[in-house]
Amino acid sequence: MTSPSPSARRTRLQQSLDTFGPFIGLAIVVILFSIIAPSGFLSLYNAKTVATQTVIVGLSAIGMVFVIRSGGIDLSVGSTIALASVATALGMRAGYGEIPSALIGVSAGALVGLVNGGLITRLSLPPFIVTLGTLGAARGVAKWLGDEQKVDAPSGWLQDAMSKSADTSVLGLAPGVWLMIACAGAAAILLRVTVFGTWTTAIGSNEPTARLCGVPVARMKLAIYVLCGAAAGLAGVLQFGRLTVGDPTTAMGKELDVIAAVVIGGASLSGGTGTILGAMIGAFLMATLANGCNLTGIPNYVQEILIGAIIVGAVALDGWRARARAAA
Amino acid sequence: MSTSTPARALRKASTLLTLPLLATLPVLLGACGNESEAGAEKALQIAVIPKGTTHEYWKAVHAGAEGAAQELGVQVVWKGPIKEDDRAAQVQVVEDFVVRGVDGIVLMPLDKVALAPPAAEAHGRGIPVVIADSDLDWKDRVSFVATDNHHGGELAGEALAEMLGGDGRVILLRYLEGSASTAEREQGFLDAIAKHDGIEVISANQYAGASTESAYKASEDLLQSFPSFDGIFCPNESAAFGMLRALQDSGRTKTAKFIGFDASEKLVAALREGEVDALVLQDPVRMGDLAVRACVDRIRGKAVEPRIDTGVVVVKSSEIDKPEVQALLSPDLSILNR
Repeated sequence: MTSPSPSARRTRLQQSLDTFGPFIGLAIVVILFSIIAPSGFLSLYNAKTVATQTVIVGLSAIGMVFVIRSGGIDLSVGSTIALASVATALGMRAGYGEIPSALIGVSAGALVGLVNGGLITRLSLPPFIVTLGTLGAARGVAKWLGDEQKVDAPSGWLQDAMSKSADTSVLGLAPGVWLMIACAGAAAILLRVTVFGTWTTAIGSNEPTARLCGVPVARMKLAIYVLCGAAAGLAGVLQFGRLTVGDPTTAMGKELDVIAAVVIGGASLSGGTGTILGAMIGAFLMATLANGCNLTGIPNYVQEILIGAIIVGAVALDGWRARARAAA
Repeated sequence: MSTSTPARALRKASTLLTLPLLATLPVLLGACGNESEAGAEKALQIAVIPKGTTHEYWKAVHAGAEGAAQELGVQVVWKGPIKEDDRAAQVQVVEDFVVRGVDGIVLMPLDKVALAPPAAEAHGRGIPVVIADSDLDWKDRVSFVATDNHHGGELAGEALAEMLGGDGRVILLRYLEGSASTAEREQGFLDAIAKHDGIEVISANQYAGASTESAYKASEDLLQSFPSFDGIFCPNESAAFGMLRALQDSGRTKTAKFIGFDASEKLVAALREGEVDALVLQDPVRMGDLAVRACVDRIRGKAVEPRIDTGVVVVKSSEIDKPEVQALLSPDLSILNR
């Protein structure tokens, strides 16, 4: 009874691989580029640059972890980022100031999440189809609000949130990076310590059983998609800060980067697993890859093939892990 | 028994993540190798960042930049945003070139505002930035290298006035509300026409819209409401093509003089047929060439003009086979394949 059984040992091995896999992947990318990229790749300045470039995908990935862990998927995050950036810009243009405008942006994202969650739970539609629909619809609303153009607005200190220059950065990093880290910390606590996290995992592991055990599945799903939408909304606010304009065409296809980040971080698309830390490392890996390709001057098509290969590789890895788990 | 299977599968799985990376290693090394050969003896490195990489227009700019680079003994690193026309992606490219520490940057900004912060960052780290093709709201640039659109419109107006013998009724089909470059062309056209008392502008308030489709519709409506006129000007490729289709439909290509701006295969064919009487052409090869020269001149301490015009020319049907016109219509891109 007291000595660890072979199956417990296997679980520990599996867990450590799930935890360290993303780190290994990141290490490989970093080592690869430090060999082939020109000097500057391994500099402190570049680390700050990549950290800033991680923020948009990283923040969105925080929400996506909950969705994927609950066995769902959200394809609408790219469009939600664009919608939130336009909503924030409209707020700033109307003179509401930074905090209210940012709240408008986050709310716009949460609203998309509410529509997603509502359609999924009320109409019992598959998340893939619902969010494929809102991927188009949210982009359309963004273009409509922006009058089919980018929205110019005074950016105020929201612009500084994504600037790593000496007078705006905090402890050397752009404020947006710290915001991402803080959100990641809070989300990790929510996922690991609270009943919200336990229920999320329960739904993703076995939804009928969770329902039998009294988990309020519909309300939980609604909350999870709202959380994901709000996270993408916050990413959109920072995207506005970064571009200094509200851009209805921004972040097209970003949902794939976000999902890839979560899956590289050890999540399974069949639900029940996935960590915040892993997703953050995954997001950092994607940003490092793009940065390394740019620094090396690798043509865009090579970079696109590479990222495609990484996404397929990460999902294939997920399949292998799922099968291994089933065998165990 | 089954005890070792999952563990083995997991071990395999952990290598799987590395596979795609390792598979691309030779490609990466190859790409890197080419570059280090080119810059063997510490040549100046100029990053040239277009709005996109797949359009013919940008390839022509690339050819011009590469030509200047070879002549000046510098190295051009050509890299556009990973997603065509994506502001965020272009911001990232600029940032990464700043990290790389290139000697100079030529930027063709996708946005008048959004690209200013990364350009300022480059400037702050001592990297001179030349803006080309489209303007950027940012003062510290070395130079702005682009077509003088107002002048292009003037040339079109003068050419049309000459064709009409200084007498007649003309139509201007505008492109799109809020498009700065075409608005300048339209103003240039009207300014030139205003110098000829005999020419009357009977319509200058209609817009073609962003697509060929909308331009076609707007042109049909215009032709419907003005049964008789003598000349037309359209300030960009899609507007000109829409108007061409409408003129063809109504069989009026020969009765009115028609001048377009920019070229496409269809417009050039129509120019050859005489359905289009003249096209105003920009010179993207020269733009790439002059932008790289401006950047290198600044680095080498020479004076650089704050505004460099890359030139526009009016090409009439009769001039289409001249070698200098052919060079504009189908630029020599062979330098890119070397």
